[in-house]
Amino acid sequence: MVSSVLMASLPRHFPELLHWYFKGRLEELSTIMDGEFNGGGDDASQDKDDMDLDEMGKMLHRNGAMDIDESCLQGKFTENNNLVKNIGKVVRDLRSLGFTSMTEDAYASAIFLLLKAKVHDLAGDDYRASVLGSINEWIKDVPLQFLHALLAYLGETTSYYSPSPGLKSPLASHPSACYPAINAPSEGLVRWHLRLEYFAYETLQDLRISKLFEIIVDYPDSSPAIEDLKQCLDYTGQHSKLVESFISALRYRLLTAGASTNDILHQYVSTIKALRTIDPAGVFLEAVGEPIKDYLRGRKDTIKCIVTMLTDGTGGNPNGSGITGDSLLEELNRDEESQENVGADDDFNTDDKQAWVNAASWVPDPVEADPLKGSRNQRKVDILGMIVGIIGSKDQLVNEYRVMLAEKLLNKSDYDIDSEIRTLELLKIHFGESSMQRCEIMLNDLIDSKRTNHNIKATIKSAQTGSEPAETGASMDILNATILSSNFWPPIQDEGLIVPEPVNQLLTDYAKRFHEIKTPRKLLWKKNLGTVKLELQFEDRTMQLSVAPIHAAIIMQFQDQTSWTSNRLATVIGVPVDVLNRRINFWISKGILTESLGKDLNDHVFTLVEGIVDAGKNSGSTGSCEELLGGDEEGERSVASVEDQIRKEMTIYEKFIMGMLTNFGSMALDRIHNTLKMFCVADPPYDKSLQQLQSFLSGLVSEEKLELRDGMYFLKKEVWNSKCSFKKMEISVAILSPFQSSAIPTVLLNHIQLPLCHVLLQCTLGDFLELSIH
Amino acid sequence: METVNGYQGNTPVAAPAGTTPSKQTVTAAKIVDTQSVLKRLQSELMALMMSGESGISAFPEGDNIFCWKGTIKGSKDTVFEETEYKLSLSFPNDYPFKPPKVKFETSCFHPNVDIYGNICLDILQDKWSSAYDVRTILLSIQSLLGEPNTSSPLNTQAAQLWSNQQGLLLSLWM
Repeated sequence: MVSSVLMASLPRHFPELLHWYFKGRLEELSTIMDGEFNGGGDDASQDKDDMDLDEMGKMLHRNGAMDIDESCLQGKFTENNNLVKNIGKVVRDLRSLGFTSMTEDAYASAIFLLLKAKVHDLAGDDYRASVLGSINEWIKDVPLQFLHALLAYLGETTSYYSPSPGLKSPLASHPSACYPAINAPSEGLVRWHLRLEYFAYETLQDLRISKLFEIIVDYPDSSPAIEDLKQCLDYTGQHSKLVESFISALRYRLLTAGASTNDILHQYVSTIKALRTIDPAGVFLEAVGEPIKDYLRGRKDTIKCIVTMLTDGTGGNPNGSGITGDSLLEELNRDEESQENVGADDDFNTDDKQAWVNAASWVPDPVEADPLKGSRNQRKVDILGMIVGIIGSKDQLVNEYRVMLAEKLLNKSDYDIDSEIRTLELLKIHFGESSMQRCEIMLNDLIDSKRTNHNIKATIKSAQTGSEPAETGASMDILNATILSSNFWPPIQDEGLIVPEPVNQLLTDYAKRFHEIKTPRKLLWKKNLGTVKLELQFEDRTMQLSVAPIHAAIIMQFQDQTSWTSNRLATVIGVPVDVLNRRINFWISKGILTESLGKDLNDHVFTLVEGIVDAGKNSGSTGSCEELLGGDEEGERSVASVEDQIRKEMTIYEKFIMGMLTNFGSMALDRIHNTLKMFCVADPPYDKSLQQLQSFLSGLVSEEKLELRDGMYFLKKEVWNSKCSFKKMEISVAILSPFQSSAIPTVLLNHIQLPLCHVLLQCTLGDFLELSIH
Repeated sequence: METVNGYQGNTPVAAPAGTTPSKQTVTAAKIVDTQSVLKRLQSELMALMMSGESGISAFPEGDNIFCWKGTIKGSKDTVFEETEYKLSLSFPNDYPFKPPKVKFETSCFHPNVDIYGNICLDILQDKWSSAYDVRTILLSIQSLLGEPNTSSPLNTQAAQLWSNQQGLLLSLWM
């Protein structure tokens, strides 16, 4: 009766007041437990005993101003007890007034709020440490202690909680350790603990999921956070939440035009690694990985980036983007270990591993953390498999690698290929011996070149002893040749280049020697490839440079003549003017040549700069300066890129398709596909899928080279031409006819192609008759 | 910088030694022959496709590389200009030592082509040489269209007509 009256007359904000009250108490308690209790701490115990309900709110505000009546020395526990006792009193009073549920709501929500704040406070934006343990500690220390005291206090007066021996709770196994104050936890307390724990896990999980993107960005460092998240998810089972939120984060932040492919790949690898920890089965990883994969497939440079990631880091370049590559290389390396059945060859293994560890900027410890060998192996194959899965087939990857390797090898000035051999061996393990065969031959070429080079020089030396030393001033010693087996290298870009006469002489001599040593074989120089080490001597300085042959050829021309027009220079060097203009920029940027407009707009004049006009411009130009291969602009590559190769292949197919359509009239997609498969057995045999062919054909259709009607492809005929030819035939027939007897038109009709007959019959039969009558 | 003969592909299988019975040698030789004929035809096809010659074209029919379909367009300034003629080419097993059989599929009113499409062309008969290939055959037939050999016609009526046409053209343009 009283309670219902009270309930009805309660002010609206009463539950709120209660909530605030408990919150205040709890915060206090928490501060005490945290050991941050200081002399000025609040203590409301004295005033509360006779406190009116209505005054409670005010009391809260007064709290800060209250005097300390109790000594701090009384210690935490007493104080605690007092505090709890007071709260307990309030709760009991409220209960007796009939506000049981309201009270419980109020302190529960206060506890949860506090817990949430604590979790946020602990977890924060730092992913380097695991916070789950400390959160659990805190739960046991603060809210549970409080609840324990509260329940114990209430239990004396209201109800009796019996310890439940049959309780199957994770906590039941170690109750005494958790609750030093009591011997066995009451059922209510256990329930509270579970609730709190769940709430804490969920809060942490939500917090981590919302920041998962950032966590994965600094993945290797943030693995504790991932571990936490894994535990939370194991507890709450809300994996789908993670997948959804993470995918939307990916879409919003990563899969945009602004993100570089390298970053995306790096993030993908980190995601794979991170999610593998959370979910070893890979189910959720698949769901998350799909959008990334799809997106990457749409990018043109994906393969290139993957190959770079796979192979880079071997160069011992641990800074910058190397980190990305290292992680994949690491995978390769681990792959190797697994193949070797770790332990079979310990010595080599540790040595090798050490080498990799040195090359890599970090050592992933999840491997060490995972005690299960089997799952470890499983995981290794995973990342590479998934990365290759983006591209679809390993062939493309291998091909791109080949091009990259070729580029790298061609730009080498020594024959040091140890790191490449190592990478190749690793790739061989993963992709199989046969697919890497061409790459292996390329490396063998380099090794052979070294030997051949040595041999040739030796023969020349022995031939020259006694005779006059090289009168051209250029001895064979300065020449190092790389001899390629062109069949196995990717197509090499050929560019005409006339090298200066002494050098040319040298090359010819070298080729002659080569022919003598390896008789059926001949050397064909690719004069535009390679590097030239130059020393330029000016009046006041010398410069040492390492440049492309074309740059060397250009600057060589200025030796005798200090001023050239671009057209003249282009002819002398044997390259098109636009190429020359592009390449000569290298020397202009070095301040060695200047460009000025000549008489003709298109004919620039280049002049050699003797001496330093503007010393400020040429930093460090006094003395000698060593520079690396300069002027490597985009598109200046010695090997035709994969895209170029595909384009070239496609033109072959186009010719074949045109050829068959000319002869067969019309063909269905299937038949074109099969015919290409059967007869297009050129150097790159036809290996496209039906879909690829279809898209290629529709490209030809849109170029108006083909027509597609009812599923059949036709050659696009030029209508005007055929009409014209009909007219012509009419005339010639008309000329023929008057001289012959009337039988001729029928003969003609018999022997002329059918469509033409129709035209003739329709249009000119009347004329024929007229003519023959004459 | 590269070697021409760096790494050659597999060399053709050598014929069995002389001690084996002659019959086997013959069959073995035949197998090798078929292989080389296939190779030759394939490379001819490739060359033909890549040459981009306008007015002539040919392609293997169905899945048999020994039977080709050809297409010839009448060359400019002849009565056959812009007219397409279909041909069939069938290669013998010992090609290129024997010429292929070439026939017109579309009827062609021409002094050197009979009503069945047979062609009278010296290089397809006694003047054949293994140096000829599909491309040269098709080019020869194309030029034959414009310049028939009227001294040994297969189609006498056409031959007669042809000479008259020439005379007529002369009298017209002179």
